[in-house]
Amino acid sequence: MQITLKNFTKSFDGNVVIDRMNLEIRDGEMLALLGPSGCGKSTTLLAISGIHRVNGGQILFGDRDVSNLPSQKRNVGVVFQNYALYPHMNAYENIAFPLQVRGQSKTEIEKAVGQIAALTHIEPYMSRRPGQLSGGQQQRVALARALVRRPDVLLLDEPLANLDAKLRLEMRSEIRRIQQETGITAILVTHDQVEAMSMSDRIAIMDQGEIMQISTPDDMYRNPVNRFIAGFMGNPPIVMVDGRVEGTAFETTSGFRLPLPGRLGGLKHGRPISIGIRPEHFGSTGAHTVAGTISFVEPQGRESHFDVRVGEGVVLRSIQPSRRDVAVGQPVEWPIDIESTLVFDEQGKTL
Amino acid sequence: MRSRTSGLGLLLISPAMLLLAIFFFTPALLTGVFSFTNMSSSTGISGGAYVVTPNLLKALSARGMQPATIEALEEASYSVDADGLAAARAADVDPAFLDEIEARYAGRAYATDSDFLAALKDLPSRPRRIRDLKLAMEPFTKSVLNVRFATEELARTAIAERVAGISDDEMATLLSESYTGWVWTTENFGKLFAGHETWRIIANTIFYVATTLTLFNVTLGLFLAVTTFYLPKKLGAIFTVIWLLPRITPVVLYAIMWKWFTWDDGFVAVLAGELGLPSFNYMKGSVTSAWTIVIMVNGFIGASFGMILFSGALRSIPIQQLWASEVDGATRWQQVRYIILPQLRWPILFVTSYQTLSLLTSYQEIWLTTNGGPGSTTTVWALESFRTALFNYSGSLQYGLGAAMALLLVAVGLMLSIIYLRLFRFGELVTQPKIEF
Repeated sequence: MQITLKNFTKSFDGNVVIDRMNLEIRDGEMLALLGPSGCGKSTTLLAISGIHRVNGGQILFGDRDVSNLPSQKRNVGVVFQNYALYPHMNAYENIAFPLQVRGQSKTEIEKAVGQIAALTHIEPYMSRRPGQLSGGQQQRVALARALVRRPDVLLLDEPLANLDAKLRLEMRSEIRRIQQETGITAILVTHDQVEAMSMSDRIAIMDQGEIMQISTPDDMYRNPVNRFIAGFMGNPPIVMVDGRVEGTAFETTSGFRLPLPGRLGGLKHGRPISIGIRPEHFGSTGAHTVAGTISFVEPQGRESHFDVRVGEGVVLRSIQPSRRDVAVGQPVEWPIDIESTLVFDEQGKTL
Repeated sequence: MRSRTSGLGLLLISPAMLLLAIFFFTPALLTGVFSFTNMSSSTGISGGAYVVTPNLLKALSARGMQPATIEALEEASYSVDADGLAAARAADVDPAFLDEIEARYAGRAYATDSDFLAALKDLPSRPRRIRDLKLAMEPFTKSVLNVRFATEELARTAIAERVAGISDDEMATLLSESYTGWVWTTENFGKLFAGHETWRIIANTIFYVATTLTLFNVTLGLFLAVTTFYLPKKLGAIFTVIWLLPRITPVVLYAIMWKWFTWDDGFVAVLAGELGLPSFNYMKGSVTSAWTIVIMVNGFIGASFGMILFSGALRSIPIQQLWASEVDGATRWQQVRYIILPQLRWPILFVTSYQTLSLLTSYQEIWLTTNGGPGSTTTVWALESFRTALFNYSGSLQYGLGAAMALLLVAVGLMLSIIYLRLFRFGELVTQPKIEF
């Protein structure tokens, strides 16, 4: 089901945290709400679920305006960050709860719970209480409980934050699998760009209560609309160098020069700009080369991260397949893919 | 678990142990001791003496003691001897009269009152008033009646002298019955369960504890906790404070306020009159209203206790669980019923057990309000025990019987505690500490 937010406004005690936000989640897609903590992404999620009431604007489920409906009447499934399983009920009772409060018959409940348990692979643990389940199992139970009554939308609030690294990888693909198998519309709230990129069809990136860009993960990585997004996407992150336009080139105050990408002709001489270079665009291919000294090496097994000091106060980062021929303090001259660099104006907008 | 006893630990708990010993173990132990005695305000708590009273003889006669023995004991005889004369002199009898008695009757004995009286009437300087004459006779009395014998031996000799050939049985009965001090006995318990009032008081107590506990301490406490939980914070806080007032008001003041409230021309009576309902002293006027008041007086105090405990427990439920239940479609009532109440199981059990014990032993509110009335309709075990042992109008305090009642209460309390501890799975609560020292 398509979810639409029209001029959605939310304030707490008179402080407006989200002001006239517009967002559309297409039927059957998984949309990630990505942003740093405090950006309003969880508030948006809680408003869609009906736990928070809107202060202005509309929330539509399909064509139905649910803005003023309590959560009981919205038919949403939510997986909370701490799972919020009921500790006094076993896994089965937890999953059956949404059906039980609707007064469904025992056989109906049994059938529905059985189906969802098979989907989420938790059949062996049905008689255990949350306290006797591991983090990943609790997560699956929470998912099952959210999905069991076939909600219009599945809301996931930082679902992986409480899991260890290995389980996180496993659950990442599990949640995606379940979402795709059920074809349910889902919203994933996360502060982790890797999670957002790997799990969702589209990402809406938020900062200070505003959506800055909505796009596919790939497009957002390649074409961020501003410096904030460019910095948020990618790990290790993009390196930003501040300077000015010098003819057709970029120059820092300390004298480090780079040619500008060919697409950017005719920038005003002397205009303050910054240039963003992703680690994978430095050190492998490119027409232009930059000389410098290696200041830091971080071996990662399959690949290595290098910090190269290329000028006073300018350190570029490079990521390359693991190599042993270079060491800290060694002078190097590596190519840079100028056409892939990102250029931002003074306000941080991408040029 | 390591079982290392640290000296510092012992030192730290020693003040508590000392206070526990002084204020709990000693009184409990003494209660146990007293409950096996017949101590009362007439026996005193120190020793006693041996006194054969006419009342005692009447009682013994009714219990089948030989009439001959009784008669012999009752019989007062008079003999004019040196002892008697000395005693009479000490009692300020006219010396001239005494001289005549000595001169005329020295060495004689008289079997009965009238014989001696007739003899004395013959004397010229006898007192005119018959009362004075009787007073003068008294020092010459040779009787065991109303004489205090300090030791058993003295009493035995005197009785044997009066009643020649008294059987050993009768002597033993006489001695034990005439003792005015306290003795060890197990009769208290038998006496308790023979009394028809006892069962009524037990029924009262059960009714009082069960009703107050279920209606107020648990149900009202829960209701208040849940409602204040859902109220806006400030409003909730105001209600909490209002409901705390009964608990923080000094109990005497609180009782007096209830008395004013339910007085003959107090608020309730006037209001009832205005509404056309019977207007009377609702605290003491009828059994139903008396019980209602007693239960409310105690219940309001107990409800605030429950409210505080349940509120704390409620707030410890993660808010996401409540959100989750709403998202799952649960109504407010279903949320309370299926999510909140099951998680308040331990607090509810705790309040139930703690308040059972405290209601069982607390009588002060009842004492200060209805005082167990009308009649003894609202008298509970603790109040009756207090009154029996320490406080009643007739002034005859039965320490032993009261202590026996208290002991039974302690036993019931202990039994309930053990049951509740089982329910609590106390062992689980005191398993290995999470922090090691």
